[in-house]
Amino acid sequence: MSRVTRVLACAGLALSVGSTAVLAADDSKFALVPGGPHPYFSAWEQAGKDAARDFGLAAADYKVPQKWELSQQNQLLESLLSQGYNGFLIFPGDSVGTGSTAAELVANGAPVIAGAGCLQDPSDAAFCLGTDTGNSAYLGTKQLIGALGDSKRIVHFTGFLVDPNTQLRIDAVQRAADEAGAQVVQVIADIDAPEPAEEKINAYLAAHAGEVDGIITTAWVPAVVAANALRKIGDKRIKMVGIDHDEVVLQAIKDGFVTGTMLQNPYGQAYIGAFALDKLRSGCTVKQDAPLMANALTAKFIDSGTAFVGADGVDNYVDAMRAATKALFDTFEATYLTCQ
Amino acid sequence: MALPDSPASPATRQAKRPMARYFLTNEFGLAALIVLFAVLFGVTAQGFLSPFNLFALGRTASINIMIGLAMMVVIVTGGLNLALGAIGVCAAIFCGFLIQDAGLAWPLAIVLALALGAALGSINGWITVRSGLHSFIITLATMSIFFGAMIFLTRAQSYRGLPPELTSFGRIKIVEIVSPLLVVTVVVALLLAYLYRLTALGREMLAAGAKAEAAELSGVRVGRVFIICHMLSGAIAAVAALMLTARNGAAIPSMAGQLGQDWLLPAFLAPVLGGTLLTGGRVSVLGTCLGAFLVTMLTSGLLLMQIGEFWIQSFLGLLLLAAVLIDKSRRMLLDRSKLS
Amino acid sequence: MSPGLSRIVRTDWFGPFVIALAAIAIVAAFNPSFLSPLNIQVLLLAISINALIAFSQMSIIAIGQMNLSVGAIGGLVAISFAGMMEVWGFPAPVAATLALALGLVCGLLNGLVIAWTGISAFIITLASLSLYKGINLGITQAQPFYGVLDAVKAFGQTNVLGPIPWLAVPTAIVALLLWYMFNRLPVGRFILAVGGNQHAAELSGISVGFTVTVAHAISGLLAGLAGILLVARLQIGQPTIGDDWLILSFAAPVIGGAVLAGGHVSIPATLLGVVIVAIITQALVLFNIDPYLVQVVLGFLILGAVGLNRFREARLERPAGRI
Repeated sequence: MSRVTRVLACAGLALSVGSTAVLAADDSKFALVPGGPHPYFSAWEQAGKDAARDFGLAAADYKVPQKWELSQQNQLLESLLSQGYNGFLIFPGDSVGTGSTAAELVANGAPVIAGAGCLQDPSDAAFCLGTDTGNSAYLGTKQLIGALGDSKRIVHFTGFLVDPNTQLRIDAVQRAADEAGAQVVQVIADIDAPEPAEEKINAYLAAHAGEVDGIITTAWVPAVVAANALRKIGDKRIKMVGIDHDEVVLQAIKDGFVTGTMLQNPYGQAYIGAFALDKLRSGCTVKQDAPLMANALTAKFIDSGTAFVGADGVDNYVDAMRAATKALFDTFEATYLTCQ
Repeated sequence: MALPDSPASPATRQAKRPMARYFLTNEFGLAALIVLFAVLFGVTAQGFLSPFNLFALGRTASINIMIGLAMMVVIVTGGLNLALGAIGVCAAIFCGFLIQDAGLAWPLAIVLALALGAALGSINGWITVRSGLHSFIITLATMSIFFGAMIFLTRAQSYRGLPPELTSFGRIKIVEIVSPLLVVTVVVALLLAYLYRLTALGREMLAAGAKAEAAELSGVRVGRVFIICHMLSGAIAAVAALMLTARNGAAIPSMAGQLGQDWLLPAFLAPVLGGTLLTGGRVSVLGTCLGAFLVTMLTSGLLLMQIGEFWIQSFLGLLLLAAVLIDKSRRMLLDRSKLS
Repeated sequence: MSPGLSRIVRTDWFGPFVIALAAIAIVAAFNPSFLSPLNIQVLLLAISINALIAFSQMSIIAIGQMNLSVGAIGGLVAISFAGMMEVWGFPAPVAATLALALGLVCGLLNGLVIAWTGISAFIITLASLSLYKGINLGITQAQPFYGVLDAVKAFGQTNVLGPIPWLAVPTAIVALLLWYMFNRLPVGRFILAVGGNQHAAELSGISVGFTVTVAHAISGLLAGLAGILLVARLQIGQPTIGDDWLILSFAAPVIGGAVLAGGHVSIPATLLGVVIVAIITQALVLFNIDPYLVQVVLGFLILGAVGLNRFREARLERPAGRI
């Protein structure tokens, strides 16, 4: 059955390519693989479809490992390579552990781009296209501190301890706080799942709400839970900066319980990632003097954009993301790639 | 966890010969299934017989088999080891620490890591024997303790500074399709088979597992034997984790999931499919290997055929259910034919 | 039975009760805000749901088995509940009833297969854990259902009286019903009898198969109820609900003194076990204790509790001549 749909899809693609004629129909078959199921990546699916249509790819399929587990992702990647996929945009299940699989994919002739999260150097990924998690946490904390009054006591809710990004975030929040003379009262980690988040965040706020002026969250689930908790207490004294664009967080911003959120750009990552994979496969290389940035993991980092959205911008945050994607896309080839 | 009375008593009364025949049938059945599915996937799944897929399949299977063996050696005692994932990860992280931070030579680090695995395993064994409680609850607790302590001590850090001798071990290919990891697994399996068939200690393990009190009366030091079984389990779990480390090119705290729980399903699937009795006293090394291989192959084949990646786990659950039901009915048939 | 104080001391809930009181006193002494109404409400929320999870496992421990699929059933029921509201637009009571029925069926299936085949519950529930969790993932594609009705959300967020949340009401009713069942109804006695000594129970005319099936059905129902309450509390049908219930589901009954071999459980003691776990989890947060250490503490707690139970058992049994 899947084969039938694939044939149909190919036929559809051939038609659309015939009409748009951006590129000759090629055998580029890309896979966009997140580390596991997470609402953050749902934009990748549409972005892949759009990219396949716009650039005449045979496919740019969104393939999700069924669990957040490195070995599941590795097995999926191996399987996709065997199925004939020849380019990969990967959110590393582990910034270190996905490296060897990426090396294997590249050794088999399939270019790899790290998307949304980076592989730790040295790696065989062409580059990393994503949000600088440390920088995002730093900027978010700055925004939060700006919204606070004289008393600057911050609590930080963040994700899984086994995720190396978590440590980067903790450090970045600490750095931003130190610079502004704020105090990080407590870091509560390992709560990127709804149940522990619910339990620990509520427990903390119940006991310490009076001793805290601001909340910074640097993971999706804690942001949602903390936004709900503030709404429940009805406390607008405590300021909060969240992360990502969950409906709950956005609504809380509108209602004034949350100051703002740090947006990321998942759509742009997948769309531009698929474009770049196609270029890399057709012989382009990353420019020697490309203005790649360095972050805590890699020196081959390209920022897909991160933006603070407050109450004023919350209604058209999608436009903000689109604009960021377009700006990056328009100059991408000229800035980062050398093509013969 | 009591099995029904009917099969247990005649089985112990009768000598080993009909049991051997029964094992033969079980392993033959598994082998037949493996051949059947291999043909099926070879015909229908695109890329199943490609050299890379066969290589990847063997590599994944070798680790799954090792995990199954680690559980099998404890099931022999009628107990189980829920902490094997946690022990494995502790050992692998310890190995990474010794090489990267302590600067030890890698062979020495591996030996020490195996020793740590054995030590943690023997802690399980010691507590189980001394308290007289079922190993289920003991290893449930130690799983939490070992993993938590490891995360606490390392701050969830990954170790990537491993020597190329170790990391390339996971990637090199012997004659195109055989991973050296598979060789390690075969060697360990042969050693275990030798242990159970030809050594006094192995026979004592089986005797103590079948009927602890009877074994005690006939001079077996049951407590000591049980501790050795748990020690062996810890050591084999450490081997599995080190193999996974070689495959990933890094020692990662998340490689067996939270608390090492992700290893539990493969750990039980393999021995149970392979015909090892949960009540203890009987073991099939070959069956465990074949069981793990079958599971790995089915997963790989289903991934390749793109039949709903998300349904694979349901399928494995049904497989386990079917396996125990078939096993049960076969044993009933066997009993009936013996009676007549 | 000796009268008076020694009888109270000997009851199964006395030890956990003293520990819980001591824990509350210690935590409150260091941090007075521990006893604030808001904090009590938060504690009760955690206790309400965790108690159902613990009761679900306790019903199976009572027959001397274990149920690994508690979390998987809870998760499947949770996403069905949220999914029926979002996708089919069912009103909340209908969705809840159907979802609970699903939990009952899941447990019933466990029980029937175990009773019919006589294969160990461990293996059957490991298989069904995988099966139910897989169905959950297959339906949701691991994405949450957001369409939880406002009435349900309100139920999960409001209080019935003072600091007592609505969510505590179903749990309290369940606790009373369970107590009544185990102490007054024949089926409760059957369950404990089968757990205590299966052969003896069978000889005295109890249908073991029926009893095992009933226990598993109850377990499934309670796990399902916990899943539904959790949806109300989290306001979202998360596919990951139930993933981390396993350790907790054993920890609370064991801390409450349940004998894993079966035949002896206590509702108040299990409830106190849940209370102790909740207090300790919260205390770790209150006192800024390294989050990395929570797991270690929980593990030692289980070990300590089983060790203590073992010790107590040995002392009580000494007259009977056991070691």
